[in-house]
Amino acid sequence: MARGAGPVALPSPPVAAPAPRVRAGLGARARRRLPGIASVALVVIVLVVLFGPVLMLALFSFNDSSIISLPWEGFTTRWYEAAWNEGQARDAVLNSLLVASIVATVSLVLGTLAAWGLTRLRFFGRGLAAGLHGSVLVVPWLIIGVAGLIFFSEVGVALSLQTVGLMQLVVTFPLVVAIVSAGLVRFSRSQEEAAIDLGASQLQMLRYVVLPQIAPSLAAAGIFAFAWSFNNFEISFFTGGFEQTFPVWVFSILRQSENLPVVNAASTVIAAAQVLAVFGAWLLIKRLSRRGGSGGDEAISELMTGAVR
Amino acid sequence: MESASVPAPRVPRRSRRRSLLRPLAFMSAPMAVLLLFFVAPMVVMLVIALQYGILSGQSGFTLSNFTDVLGDDLYRDVALTTVQIATAAMVIQLLLAVPLAYVLAFKAGRWEIPLLLFFVLADELNPMVRIYAWRMLLGREGLINSFLIDIGLIDQPIDALLFSKFAVIVVLSTSYLTYTVIPIYAAMKAIDKNMFEAARDLGAGWWTTFRRVLLPLIAPGIFVALLLVYIPLFTDFASPALVGGTEGYMLGNVVNDLVLETGDLNGGAAMSMLMLLAAAIFAVIAYRLAKIKQLEQ
Repeated sequence: MARGAGPVALPSPPVAAPAPRVRAGLGARARRRLPGIASVALVVIVLVVLFGPVLMLALFSFNDSSIISLPWEGFTTRWYEAAWNEGQARDAVLNSLLVASIVATVSLVLGTLAAWGLTRLRFFGRGLAAGLHGSVLVVPWLIIGVAGLIFFSEVGVALSLQTVGLMQLVVTFPLVVAIVSAGLVRFSRSQEEAAIDLGASQLQMLRYVVLPQIAPSLAAAGIFAFAWSFNNFEISFFTGGFEQTFPVWVFSILRQSENLPVVNAASTVIAAAQVLAVFGAWLLIKRLSRRGGSGGDEAISELMTGAVR
Repeated sequence: MESASVPAPRVPRRSRRRSLLRPLAFMSAPMAVLLLFFVAPMVVMLVIALQYGILSGQSGFTLSNFTDVLGDDLYRDVALTTVQIATAAMVIQLLLAVPLAYVLAFKAGRWEIPLLLFFVLADELNPMVRIYAWRMLLGREGLINSFLIDIGLIDQPIDALLFSKFAVIVVLSTSYLTYTVIPIYAAMKAIDKNMFEAARDLGAGWWTTFRRVLLPLIAPGIFVALLLVYIPLFTDFASPALVGGTEGYMLGNVVNDLVLETGDLNGGAAMSMLMLLAAAIFAVIAYRLAKIKQLEQ
C-alpha cells in the first residue's frame, strides 16, 4: 500500500505546501486519498470471504429444492415454515435466548462489581484476584466445558440449561470486567474525588459522575456478553446434557446428516438478527458516548482498542 | 476507640472500616463464582486425571492416564496435525491482519468505523452458522464444485475441498480474524503518524519503514493477537468435527471422543490438563513478550 501511495502522492504536496499549518494533516490525507487499488482489493476480498458464505447460505434458504446446490429451482419460504414447525429448532433458539439473557444480565452485574473493586479499591490479594479474572479469559472453552461436565457429574448435579448458564457465566463475566475496567481506567479518579469534595454522596458520585462515563463500556460489555453466551458452543455442548442451545442443535444436525435447507432457514434468521443487533448496538453506544461528552465514533474505536490492551 | 474518634478527624476511621467492607461488598460475589465454578472444576478435573478409571478395576492415584496419553503414537500424530493446522491458520490471519489493520488505522478515513463494525459483525455471527456455510460451499456437491463443473473448468468434483486439513484451515482462519485484527489495529492507532514521515524524510523505503518502524511498534499487538487467537485455534473442536474428516482430526476431537464417545473421563481429563498446560505456557510466553515489547518503547 505504501508503494501504491508514492507515485499518486507526487502531484499533491505543492498544493498542500502553501496551506496554513493546520491544514497539514489534511494535505497528508489528500495525498493518501487514493490509497491504491491494493488496499481496496484487500478489504473487498476479506469481506467477501468473511460474509460471502453466509450470504450464500441465506440465499439458498429460499431455494425450492431439498438439495443445496445449483441450479436454482425457484423461490420459496417453505423452509422457514418447516424450521418454525420443527420443535427442536424452535426450542433450541428459545433456550439460547433464555440462557444468553440471564448470563448477560448476571455477567454485567458481577463484572461491573469486580471491575470497580479491582480498579478502585486496594485490598489484600487484589493482584491475585485480578490474575484469576484474567486467567479465565485464556482458558480454552473446550476445557472449561469438559471440566464442568466432570465437576457436575462428580458432585451429582444433572446437566441442564442451568449448568450451561453457570459455566457460561464463568467465562463471560471476566470479559465484562476487562471491558468495564478499560472504561474505568480511561477517566481520571480526580473527578470522583472532586464530586465527593463538593458534597456528593457515594451513590450520587456513582450515578452522576461514573455512570455517564462508563455507559458506553457497559453497553458494549452487555452486548458482547450476550453474544458470547448465545454463540457459545463448546461449553453448552459439554454441560447441556439433553438440553440443546442453538449452536448445539446445528452441530448435532450436521453430525448426523447432510446439509439441510431447514438449517439454512434457521441460520439465516439468527444471522439477520445478529446483523441488526450489532447495528443497534453501534447506534446505542454512539448515543451514550455523545452524552458522556466524547465524540461518538472515536469512542467506539477507543472502546474496542481499550479492552484488548 | 469511640472516645478517641472525637478529636481525630472522621476520615481515617471511616476509610479503615471501608478498606475491609467495601472490597468484600464488591469482590465476594465475583470471587465466589470463580472459586466455585472455575477453580473447583479445574481441581476436580486434575484429581480425576490422577485417578484410575472405573473400568481399570484399580483404585487410588496414578500417573498412568498422563503416560498413556503421552505415550500414544496416534495422539502424537494428532498433536502434530493440530499444531500444523493451528499454525497455518494463525500465519494466514497475521498475513491478512497486519495490512488490514494498517488500512483501517491509516488509510480508511471515513470508512474506518464502518469497516470496524464489519469486523465486529464477523465475530458476532454464530460460529456454527459460519461453519455450516463453508460446508455448504466446499462439499463434493457443494456450490464451489458444482459451479466449477458448470463452467467447465473441471470434470470431477474436487474432493479435497471438504473433510480435509484445507477445510479446517479455511474455516478457522475466518473464525478468529477479528481477534487478530483488533489488537494490531489498537497498536497502530497508538503510533504517531509523523514517524512514517520522518522515516521517509530520512530516506527509508517502504520495506525499511515497515521492518524498522512499523513492525517494532506493532509487535505488542501481534503478541496479544497470538495470545487471544492461537489458544482457541489449537483447542478448536467444532470445525474439525464438521469439516475436518479423518485428515483434519485435532486434539479437541480426541478430548470429545474420550469423554463422550468412549466414556473415559480420566483419560479425557488428563488430555485436557495437558492442553491446559500447553495453553498456559503459551499464554505466559506471549504475555511476557507483549509486555517486554511494550516496555522497550
